[in-house]
Amino acid sequence: MMPFDTLLEGSIQKIKTTNMTNTKTSLVEKVSELLQTSTAEVFRTMFSLETSPLPSDQLELSHRPLVAGSIGFIGEANGIVHVHVSSDFARTLASRMLGMAENEIDGDEMVNDVIGELSNMIVGAVKSQLCDMGNTCVLTIPAIVRGENISVSPTSSTEQSLLGFCCGNNHILIELQMKQST
Amino acid sequence: MSSKILSVDDSKTIRMIVKRAFAPYDATVFEAANGEEGLAASLANKPDIIILDITMPVMDGVTMLTKLKENADLKNIPVIMLTAESGRENVAFIASLGVSDYLVKPFKDDQLIEKVKRVVALQPKTAAVVT
Repeated sequence: MMPFDTLLEGSIQKIKTTNMTNTKTSLVEKVSELLQTSTAEVFRTMFSLETSPLPSDQLELSHRPLVAGSIGFIGEANGIVHVHVSSDFARTLASRMLGMAENEIDGDEMVNDVIGELSNMIVGAVKSQLCDMGNTCVLTIPAIVRGENISVSPTSSTEQSLLGFCCGNNHILIELQMKQST
Repeated sequence: MSSKILSVDDSKTIRMIVKRAFAPYDATVFEAANGEEGLAASLANKPDIIILDITMPVMDGVTMLTKLKENADLKNIPVIMLTAESGRENVAFIASLGVSDYLVKPFKDDQLIEKVKRVVALQPKTAAVVT
């Protein structure tokens, strides 16, 4: 049997590395911080790609064809996260994750599956930390949206946060919408 | 003798990553997209190890694991759980299931190989078996 206590310690230590001590920070701000960390971690681990924050004046969705992975969390914290990348970059990511040449990526299905898994990993890490903070929740199944000039609008009862990352010449935009806590 | 690895995950991406990770080894990777298919593949192939996702349609990983443990022919097959959720409660829950190990996504191929090597004696492919 593996030393789970050791593994559990590692898991807890990883959680402690995220600065969550400011009790005045709103939940949407905390989740945004967690998304920053988990996105960088997923890109580093799964794609061997480094990301850096995108300047705020570039925080807008491209008019180029986009692929977005959407996944929600429901429970004591409620929200949805949309991970947007250009369709060209999505194909590059699929190629890197699957270890295949881009011309071997056959159709949209493989790209969709990779973007779904990418979204699942990013939001799964956030969900785990929300649960550890006492906000028990579960993930929804991921969905993929493709198109141009995509716009996602929050309703009056939601708070929104937009995060951006540079990855070489490519941008990753992450939209977070959370139901306002009562 | 070639090792037999069963990857049970509803994500084709993850199954492809597992298959790619073990390509340099003398190992056959079988695939199943849910727990029901995973049980059938376990009975048919008697794998040396199962890499099992938790959240899947039709039959989830926890149900599959429970059914494995109830089957005299399958109960001793080592299982590594693969999960995107690293929360304390989730880790403690996985530990309680009697699995050999677990791996949190995102993961590198090397991490997966290292965990499998703790349980299965993987041999690098020799020239004679490279396909």
